[in-house]
Amino acid sequence: MQSTATQLCDWLALAADGDRAAFSKLYDASASKLYGVILRITKDRSCSDDLLQEVFMKIWERASTFDRDRASPITWMATIARNSAIDEIRRRTRELQTADADVDEVPDASPRADVAMELKQAWLRLESCLETLDPEHRDTVKLAYLEGLSREAISVRLSMPVGTVKTWLHRSLKRLKECLLE
Amino acid sequence: MSGDEDKDMLAAEYVVGTLTADERQAVAARRLHETDLDAAIIAWEARLSAWLSEYEPVAPPPDLRAAIINRIDRSDIRTRLLSDEPVKLRRSLNRWRTAAIGGYALAASLIGFMVFREAPVAPSTERFVAVFQSNDEQPVFIMTIDLKSRQIVVRPVTAKSAPGKTYQLWIASDRLGDKPRSLGLLDDPSQPTRKTLPYEPDLLQEATFGISIEPEGGSPTGTPSGQPIHGRLIPTKH
Repeated sequence: MQSTATQLCDWLALAADGDRAAFSKLYDASASKLYGVILRITKDRSCSDDLLQEVFMKIWERASTFDRDRASPITWMATIARNSAIDEIRRRTRELQTADADVDEVPDASPRADVAMELKQAWLRLESCLETLDPEHRDTVKLAYLEGLSREAISVRLSMPVGTVKTWLHRSLKRLKECLLE
Repeated sequence: MSGDEDKDMLAAEYVVGTLTADERQAVAARRLHETDLDAAIIAWEARLSAWLSEYEPVAPPPDLRAAIINRIDRSDIRTRLLSDEPVKLRRSLNRWRTAAIGGYALAASLIGFMVFREAPVAPSTERFVAVFQSNDEQPVFIMTIDLKSRQIVVRPVTAKSAPGKTYQLWIASDRLGDKPRSLGLLDDPSQPTRKTLPYEPDLLQEATFGISIEPEGGSPTGTPSGQPIHGRLIPTKH
């Protein structure tokens, strides 16, 4: 049975007090999501195994800083996982996504069926704003986010100089922000 | 491009993930001391977080859970980063509700959402961040405050401008009486607003803040016209 956000919050609170049983439940409820985030970015199972351990160590250490009034627990944890994965692939300076052949295309855009209605609405709004970007580049902005693509990787993908990538990336992100504020 | 825009784009690229290792490291270090950069990162994380829903779960190897628990058992690195720093700034919303009564239906309930900070390192008691959110799924404004300099920066996240309307910032404290006091208008909700507040740091630390939607020129009554969206100050932890 899928765990609710309330359960995840409760387990995080208990883990913050050193409750290993609650932490195990938290792991069971969230590990596959976090592993999915890490694996999509690193594209390396061995590396992802190590990173998942690091990420859950961070969650254990930082559980007391989680604030349920401000954060969705799964989003808080997924962001830790995502940042850790991006840091790792940058640190290794291995461009795992440099060639088109290695880059997944953006899948049929849709949030997973089990996400909350609020999140679906946020996703729809973000997607509608993405639609206002240059059609040639809009998928790349999202793919960069989902896969942690570097400017260099985007440069290869779009066959354009890195400086140009930075320029359109900034233009796209500004447009996205403006649209979300409208 | 202005310094604010540069910083905002740096925050955006940090969140999207396009920076180099050195750039990411530099940003991670800078956000410990630059509250406006930190707030910009938080805002971008919130803007794009809906895409996190697209990551498909993948079952990890079954032995990883035991390995993690073993590591926890072996390590003594557990830190309770905030345990000795009570957050004194949590205040009741009743003050706002009382102030707002008068023909306006209460705004929709306040729902916690997904603005958060990650990777706290060293608590600071001088810098705080507040998230202003309504019933929408995303924060409306994020405010950072430096108690020492009494300076605030209010940054829009999803705030929308509307003809004939303006946003007004309020402060409430027992030491200021029963009613919130105005801290002025947020003239352009699409741009960060900077202000230096005329109150002592210890008062600011105890206060709560609110933002209301008002007619052009500000509240005609001197108190919030509708129920303000409230912001709870939380110490920056980077």
